[in-house]
This record gives sequence, C-alpha cells and structure tokens, in this order.
Amino acid sequence: MNRKVIISILILLALGIIFLVVLDIRKNRTDARPDNPYALGLEEFATVDSALVKYREVLDLELNETEKRGIAFGMEKIWLIGDDYLQVISTEGEQLMKRELPGSPTCITIYQSDIYIGFTNLIRVYDYEGNQKSSWASAGDSAIFTSLAVRDSFLYAADAGKRRVLKYRTDGTLLAAFDGKREPDALHGFIIPSPYFDLAIAPDGELWVVNPGNLALENYTPEGRLRGYWNKTGADINGFSGCCGPAQIAILPDGSFVTAEKGLVRIKVHRASGELESVVAPPQLFANGTHAPDLAVGSRGEIYALDFDRKMIRIFERKKP
Amino acid sequence: MNRKIFLTQSGRWVLLGGLAYLTGHIFFKRKVSASGKYVWQIDPFKCSQCGRCATQCVRDLSAVKCVHAYSLCGYCDLCGGYFKPNTLSLNTGAENQLCPTGALTRKFVEEPFFEYTIDEELCNGCGKCVKGCTSFGNGSLHLQIRHDLCQNCNECSIARLCPSDAITRVPIETAYQIKGDFINPALIKPKG
Amino acid sequence: MLFAAFNSLQAQQRFPKPEFKTEYTQPSPTTPEPRGVGMEFVDVALLILVMSLTAWFAIKKRSRKGILWLTVFSAVYFGFYRNGCICSVGSIQNVALALADPKYVISLYALLFFLLPLVFSLFFGRVFCGAACPLGALQDLLIFKPITIAPWLRKTLGVLPYVYLGLSVLFAVTGTEFIICRYDPFIGIYRMNGPYLMILLGIAFLLMGLFIARPYCRFLCPYGALLNITSRFSRRHLSVYPTKCIECKLCTTACPFEAIDFPDSEKERPDPKKSTRRFLLFLILIPVLMAAGGWIGSKSHVFLSKANQTVYTAELLISHPELRKDPLNLDIQTFLASGKSLETLTEEASAIRDKFYVGSWILGAFLGLVIGFMAFNQLIFRRKNEYQANRGTCYSCARCLDYCPVE
Repeated sequence: MNRKVIISILILLALGIIFLVVLDIRKNRTDARPDNPYALGLEEFATVDSALVKYREVLDLELNETEKRGIAFGMEKIWLIGDDYLQVISTEGEQLMKRELPGSPTCITIYQSDIYIGFTNLIRVYDYEGNQKSSWASAGDSAIFTSLAVRDSFLYAADAGKRRVLKYRTDGTLLAAFDGKREPDALHGFIIPSPYFDLAIAPDGELWVVNPGNLALENYTPEGRLRGYWNKTGADINGFSGCCGPAQIAILPDGSFVTAEKGLVRIKVHRASGELESVVAPPQLFANGTHAPDLAVGSRGEIYALDFDRKMIRIFERKKP
Repeated sequence: MNRKIFLTQSGRWVLLGGLAYLTGHIFFKRKVSASGKYVWQIDPFKCSQCGRCATQCVRDLSAVKCVHAYSLCGYCDLCGGYFKPNTLSLNTGAENQLCPTGALTRKFVEEPFFEYTIDEELCNGCGKCVKGCTSFGNGSLHLQIRHDLCQNCNECSIARLCPSDAITRVPIETAYQIKGDFINPALIKPKG
Repeated sequence: MLFAAFNSLQAQQRFPKPEFKTEYTQPSPTTPEPRGVGMEFVDVALLILVMSLTAWFAIKKRSRKGILWLTVFSAVYFGFYRNGCICSVGSIQNVALALADPKYVISLYALLFFLLPLVFSLFFGRVFCGAACPLGALQDLLIFKPITIAPWLRKTLGVLPYVYLGLSVLFAVTGTEFIICRYDPFIGIYRMNGPYLMILLGIAFLLMGLFIARPYCRFLCPYGALLNITSRFSRRHLSVYPTKCIECKLCTTACPFEAIDFPDSEKERPDPKKSTRRFLLFLILIPVLMAAGGWIGSKSHVFLSKANQTVYTAELLISHPELRKDPLNLDIQTFLASGKSLETLTEEASAIRDKFYVGSWILGAFLGLVIGFMAFNQLIFRRKNEYQANRGTCYSCARCLDYCPVE
C-alpha cells in the first residue's frame, strides 16, 4: 500500500475518533439524554376528564417546616398533630394554639368537645384547650393505631399492627376487638400490607372500615359483624389504584366517602354504594411520589387535605353548578 | 560530560523527593485504604428508578439487579410491582406483567398472599417493578449492584448519570444496602 | 427474649409482615461477594516483576524476545484477565482527586500503580511502557506497517499528551469526571463487552495502530507525558549499542516510534554567542508564555466548567426555566423532586466554577510552560555524537537491540 493511501486512511480514522468523542460529549448533556425506555406509564391515568372534577381548590394554608402527622376538623377549627405537638389553626390559617404532647401521636379524632389522640399503641383524651383528661391502657407492643372514630360513648380504633379494630368505651375500657374475617375459618380478615388503615363513622352512625388489601370499604355492626361492603379495583378513575387503598377516607355530611389513594395520588368522592360521584383532586395536582394526603371534612362539606410533601392544607369546596 | 551527569542526578533526586512528598502527603493527610476494596453501591432510598441502571452499565446485561426485601413485602394479590396498573385479570399472563423480561415470578402462598421472587438471570435492572412497588406498595423491591457481576470500574458509568446521585463508593464491608437490614428513619411511619 | 424482640421492632421501624398460617418459610435476599478480592496485591507484585524483567532484558540481556513475551503476558494478564482496570494511566485521576478532596479515599493499589512506574523510570527508563502497560502492549503487538511522521508534525502533536494530562487532572480535581477512563479506547476490547461507542473508538485506534506505531502512547497518553519527563533523568537507560556506534543507521530502521536521535553534523553547530543569546531569550520567553497561557486558560474556564454536571444543570435551569415542566427530562425532574432549591444548586455550581477558574489558570500556565520547553528543546542546540535512544520517548521495547550489529 502506498504512503498516500495510508495517510488518507489515518486522517479519516483521526477524524472519526474526534467525531466519536464529540458525539459522546454531546449525547450526555443533561438536556440531550434519551428518555427512560422502562418508564412505568402512569401518564394515561394522570389526566382526568374535567367534567368529573366537581370540586375546586379554594385555599392553601402553608404550614411550617416540621413534620405533620394527621388532621381533623372539630368545633369549626382545624386540628393538626405533629411529631410531638398538637396544633390548632383557624380555617383561614391563623395559629390559635400549640401544645406539646408526651410522645409521638399517630392519629387524631374529635367528638363533641373531646380530642382523642392515638400514640402508636395507646390513646389519650384531651379537652378543647389541650389539657390531658385521661390516658388509656396500652393495647400491646405490636399495636399501631392509625385511625380513630368516636360516636356516642364508643370509640373504634384501627390497629394496623395487629390487623384488627378495637372497640373502647369512652372511659377507656376495652370492650371488643374484631379482625374482619368473613367466615370463622377464613385465614385472614383485614389485609393490611402497609401502615394505612383508616375507618370512619357516617352521619347515620354506621361504622365503615377500609380493608386496604381488598381495596374495599366494609360496613360493620357495633358488634363487629360485617354487614356489607363494596370494593373498586383498578387504576382507572372508578377504582382504587395499587395494592392497598384507599389510604385515607373521610365521610361527607350526606354519607358519601372522600377517598385519598397512594401511588397514583388523587382525591375522589364515592357514593355510599360505591359508585364514583366526582373527583376532588386529580393526580396532576400532586407532585410525583407524594404520600396520600390525610383528609378531614368540615361542617359545610368542604374537604381539608393535609398534603405531607408540600406541607400545606389544601381546602376544596364543591363548585357551584 | 560531568555537568550532564550532575544535572541528571540532581534532577532525579528532585523528582524522587517530589514523589516522596506526594506519597507522604497522601498517606498522612488523606485516607488510604489498604484493607479490602471499595465498591459501588446504590442507595435504594435515593434511587428514582430512572432506568439508567439497565442502559448505562458497561456490561451487556447490567450488573444491577432487583432485590426483594421479603420482610417488608405485603404479599399482596394485586402487587404494584408485578402487575401493570390496570390489569383485567390477576394471573401470571405475560400481558399483565410490568417486568419487560419476565424476571419477577409470582407464587401462591396462602389466601390471599402471594410470594414474589426475582430470577436474577433475567433481570436487567430497569427498575420498572421497583417504581411500581415504591409508588403503590411497600417499596420492598429495590435495585442493588451485584458485586459478583460488577466490574468495579474506576468510575461507574451509571453513577455518572444517576439523576439522584444514589451510587457512591463504599467500603466492601458495607457493600450492599438491602432494605430492612438497617435503620432508616424515613422508612415507614404510620400516618393516621 | 421478649425485651430483645421489642427493641429490635423499635429499632427497625419495620411494619409487621403478614402472619402466615400455613407452613411458609420466608427467603432472605442474597448478597454475593465480589470476585477477586485480594488480587490487587498480586497485581502490584506482578507489575514490579514485569518492569524489573523489562529493565533486565533491555539493559543487561539486550534481548527483544524477552520483552516481546513480557508484552504478550501483560496484554493477557493485565489486559484480558484483569480487564485493564485499575491502570496506571487512570491512577493520575485518583491521585489528583485524593490531593484535592480530603474525603476521597484512595486505594493503596491505585497509589502504587501511580508511583511504581514513575520510580522505575527514574532508574531504568520507560520500562513500564515497554512491556507492562496493557494499553501499550495491545498497540505494540498490532504494529503492521508503521510510517514515519514528519518531525514538525510529531513535535506539534507531542503537546497533546500534556493537554490531556492537564484536562484530566482539572476534571478529576473538580469532581467532574474521570475522562481518561471514559475515553480509554482499549478497555472495551479487553473486557470484550461495552457500549458500542466505546468499542468503535477502540477499533479506530487499533486500525490507526496498524500504520502509526502506538498512536495513543505517542500522542495522547497523559501518563506518558509524566514518564517522558522522569525518564530523562533516569540513572540507567537502554543503550542502542553496547560499546561503540558505527553509524550504520540500522537501528533507525528498526525503531517504529522514531525515538532514536541522529548525530548532528559539523555544519549545524552554531557559534557559542548565538547559543547564549537564544538561551537568554528563552529565559524571558517562558514566563511570558506561561502568563499568556494562563490568561487564555482563565478565559476558557466558563466553557470548561460546563463539562461539570452541577454547573450545566444549574445553567440549564436558569436559562431555560420552561424545562421545569418537561416531564421527560429525568435529571431535572429528579432534581426538582429532591427538594433541593435552585439557590443551593447555583451556590454549588459557583463554587465549582471558581475552582475551574483557578484550575484553568494553572492549566494554561502549565501548557505555556510545556510549549516553551518544547520550543527550547528544538532551538537550543545540543551536541549529539552518536545514534542513541531518546530518553524521553524511547519505550525500551528493544527492537533496535536486535538490529545493532555491534557486539
């Protein structure tokens, strides 16, 4: 091979090398990288038909940086529990009270003028000024209370640790526990894969408990017998997405359920029979990876959602028709 | 040529002295690891499941594999990491599965619990099941670098592009960060 | 028992798993051990052995065959078996980063791989390049029909290794990237596995290597730039002839790297006065070149800093805020979801850019110095009486030794 040919090949190779290096540099710029070919496509569920969205976000109350654990509505005020304190704010966002708590609260509910706060495995009762009225016995080391509901003189506590619902009298006596088994010889009752286990009492006095593993809402008699249930599976708008849900619920004055899901975070309203009534907050309103917001319902039917990641209370009201 | 030899010799001593100073500085003022290796590790709590573990590894089939922390798993029938978000039927049909290579297997344990295992020979480290499990489930599925496969490059090609800087160099004693083995305050907190 | 269980439950903060009623044993995740732990010690020992043998074959035994077999051994062991990583060329970055960052832990083996070839070169010349370096070994074994390159081109391209050295140290120190590793052409071939861009680069270099002997070693290798300097001060060095040169020029035909210096003729020697003047000229020129180089370097620091991820992302977000809404850009989305504020990112980016400013000044001044010295070498006369291996560029491959007819 004569010299000229070799030199031209060498020049070509040198240019090729420079080209490859430049190509590599350019391809790795932050704005030029290829998309993720293994992305989990949740986009199709992220957009919701706007005709279904019958609520609008009217107000956002920014909270301070410390971590919040739960929200409840009572006596026309918003009650929040943080990692070691109880905080009361007005519906306009003004802080009215803050009291330290002896321990880490996990759930809160308000009935008449008593505040019931669950601390992992025991319950304490406070008055509306934040003074402790009583402290009940522990339910055991592996109990984890995730939700409380009170009606008349009975309190129902959702124990996610032992997968059961405990029934107390409001003086602290433990009356009963039920584990949601459909048949006496069934292996398991409440299926609780993750620490989201919510319950609520409807305005007509009925106890509704979420069975997260079955994506169902179950109605129990005061004796703990299953009266009825409905479930909705699926990531589409009519169902509850993922393997456990809905993560949080609250009940509106007309008996329909406000539900918040985890994973594909959205807030919806389902009728007591289970059909979807409307969407309160579609997934677009939440950032990726947000936890399911905690819910509380106000006296006019407005919905308070405690957004843990954005650290704010988002207030939704029904749109005028 | 005495001058030349003299210059060469003094130059040599200067350079030797310089190298000795450099070595001494590194030995005494910096950290030198002689015992064992340093390896690359994924922090599963920082991982954002971007898919680059599958595409960027210098190996054909990535050294990153999905690992299952069974003690964190809910054993759900409707597994968020196994099934596509809107599957019609909960069976092991390939059309229902998220995993592009079919590496995640489902086995009945007892009603209503199912065990999910990863076949490491099929797993390509794409993180799709991890994303599903973290969003919808307990986050028991997570990605880890398997050190019997990893080449331990001087600079990990995946670490270079990780959007959340989840891959760092750690001593070999703590080579793996398997979930459930250690304390993470942000792990799972019951929220009422 | 109960107390321990209680404590562990509290410590692990793990949500209780389902209680299985049937006989079910839960498997545990596996943690496979890495391969080859402890092999580094063997690597260092073999490195020392190979370099010592190369020195012996080149200087004492004067045998090309021995070095050839050592080259093959290096390609097989350090190359194909150990996959060419960690290597001395890349160790520059590890050492630079260790000096700059007190938190960086450098492995002892990386440090030894950096030091040992340099120390050997101070005593025996570039014996590392001759037979121990896996990158060099591969290129050396694939020389087919080497052409000669015009001296002006050779000398000009000879600046590139210093540029590469400076850039790789700059990028390593600022924590940007290990560019030597990224653009290592041969590691993809040694691993027989890799992204196609890497393999293509390797093949291109090997094809070049068929006609230009050791292209990477001669015109790019940053470690070679260091060895070039240290080797000039070596105590002993490969000598083409054992006793006396008869000026037959056979050695120059043998050397594919044009590393053998020609003796000068009577006509070329200038008068001493001119030499002194030239010498003084360079005494002034070199600082000027350094200042000019440093100034140019500082002007390019913004451009260079863009290679850094943090700086580039910060700039991107500031100049294109609409990209925040782009759901497909993973890096920006992950950054936004991480909770880190743009202010923090911008602060970090500014700190890095300042480091680049200082670094680019030093880089520019260093390159000015290098260019100054190269010009100095060219224009200042040195008396050469015989054909002898150039101490800076000879790899001690011993090809010339077989050709020299002198006994």
